Amino acid sequence: MDTLKGLARAKELYLDRRKRVKELKAQGKKVLGYVCLFAPPEIMAAAGILPYRLRGDLKEPITKAHDFVEPFGCPYIRNLFDQDLKGNYDFLDGLIMSHSCDMVQRLYGIWTLNTRPSFKYFVNVPHTLTPWSKEFFKRELIFFREKIENFSGNKISNDQLQKTIKEYNTSRALLRKLYSLRKENPPLLSGTEGLQVLVAGMGLPVEEFNNLLQEVIEEVMSRGQGPPKKTARLMLYGSVCDDLSLIQLIEEGDACVVIDDTCIGTRSFRHDLPETPDPMDGLVTAYFDSFLCPRTDRGPGSARFRYIADLAKEYKADGLIMYIYSYCDPHKFDAPDVSMSLRKEGLPSLILDDDYSLTNLASIRTRIQAFIELLS
Amino acid sequence: MIVAGIDIGSITAETVILQGNQILSSSILPTGANSRRAADRSLAAALSQANLKQEDLAAIVTTGYGRASFSSATKMITEITCHARGAFHVRPETRTVIDIGGQDSKVIRLDERGRNVDFQMNDKCAAGTGRFLEVMAHALEVKLEDLGRLSHSAKRSIKISSMCTVFAESEVISLIAESQPKEVIIRGLHDAIADRIMGMVHRVGVEEGVTITGGVAKNEGVVRALEERLGVKLFVPSEPQIIGALGAALLAQNIAKDI
Repeated sequence: MDTLKGLARAKELYLDRRKRVKELKAQGKKVLGYVCLFAPPEIMAAAGILPYRLRGDLKEPITKAHDFVEPFGCPYIRNLFDQDLKGNYDFLDGLIMSHSCDMVQRLYGIWTLNTRPSFKYFVNVPHTLTPWSKEFFKRELIFFREKIENFSGNKISNDQLQKTIKEYNTSRALLRKLYSLRKENPPLLSGTEGLQVLVAGMGLPVEEFNNLLQEVIEEVMSRGQGPPKKTARLMLYGSVCDDLSLIQLIEEGDACVVIDDTCIGTRSFRHDLPETPDPMDGLVTAYFDSFLCPRTDRGPGSARFRYIADLAKEYKADGLIMYIYSYCDPHKFDAPDVSMSLRKEGLPSLILDDDYSLTNLASIRTRIQAFIELLS
Repeated sequence: MIVAGIDIGSITAETVILQGNQILSSSILPTGANSRRAADRSLAAALSQANLKQEDLAAIVTTGYGRASFSSATKMITEITCHARGAFHVRPETRTVIDIGGQDSKVIRLDERGRNVDFQMNDKCAAGTGRFLEVMAHALEVKLEDLGRLSHSAKRSIKISSMCTVFAESEVISLIAESQPKEVIIRGLHDAIADRIMGMVHRVGVEEGVTITGGVAKNEGVVRALEERLGVKLFVPSEPQIIGALGAALLAQNIAKDI
């Protein structure tokens, strides 16, 4: 076992993306890669599997994926696919994808055809919110549960699933507690540290992540010197932000990131998963109703806008950086509306478009600095 | 108190030496391949014009793409904030600034106190910037500074559909091959630039009191094409290229007061 603890351990896990998962694999743990929460990790973990959320590598230029996909569409999922083609996920026992967005759905076939994972499954998730689509999603999750049972050879009892959900809810509660320390001014935890913790959690068994979170909370609450006070407090909005570069770019200037709405961040732990008699009902409610990802169409006048503004205000953010990958249709479609609704709430925002490479660093830095100057 | 603002852009570097409300001197020089040297030379030129030495300056603010390359700056401030400050100073009615520089273009919205409230910036490629016009002037064998006058004499415009500098150049070459008059092609290019800027204008929301800055503001053809689309007259400062450096100098005054 490693001797590092708390934030240092989180940083180590952030920096070495494969070491821990390979250790667990050597101990006989089965590992399934997944790309989106709509294939709930709770179901995989309940069968004794390690759900490993695939992580991008922003500094890795795409060289192989272009042979299989035309150069359009989400640069993030392309980065993941490229890494798999290069053998960077050689520890996986299989690949789980879900209908997060059209790009991911169409890529599933291309990906699995060309990398031939031993086990693969696609969770179909409807895009509109109606009682019938909820029913459909529940059935899809039941199919997913059966597939996972067959793959692992372990029957998932309701008891076991409920126990796993409780563990994941503990994670959520601990993350909320850790995040609440960022409400202070200056925040007790920097955005850089916060992201290292989140990314560490993407590849750990839930119990191990919960221990790490406990350590981090104790460390942050007891340490003398936290991050320095900055002029601007910012919220980071986007799909997946799993690389430190952008937050470091923000925090090297006169600003700090105090809250986020991303799918590995607050969006995933803002609410607990309801602990229902039939655990599948809680999963459906959590992921389909409460998980406010723009990939689900909630019709006009979206409650999501309200949620973003409320979150920003709760953490006393002065403005938002909307970091959206090129061609990300779920996030790009309503970005102008999100931005407009925030402006009405007195919250300025800056939309940054990036192809998941940050190669245009000088110009992104200028935009960020100008935005901080505007806020101060 | 005497201060300086240096705007180190992609094509030119400008310096403004300021005392109170008075510009003592200014310089505009090509940036070339070394932005550190360009900043030094630009500052030296402006200082010698005003018979001053660097020690006479209470503060120096640098801005522009090369703002970090000048090591003795008191502070670096982005060109967005500096253009807003400079434009508001030369014309306090300014609520919208359109800046078209060498390699990027931006639209900035100001409030009644001159503070920047929103901005849009295009720097993905050279489309619709000074560099774009340089390439086109070369293809058409005319001088950059003659583009505005020539487009004025055109009786009609022509659609240039590609805004990528490389593709637009080939489009221009095929128009030349079709024997389209130069003036008409130039007007078409100005219209295309204006259409592109209008996209950004709509995003930040246009308010009356529009000032245009940057080297391309010297091109009357682009100014006219923008005025047609906006339905208002643009304010063109007497030296639009130094507005960023002027803004930097004005901000240097505030900083020097605090020192």
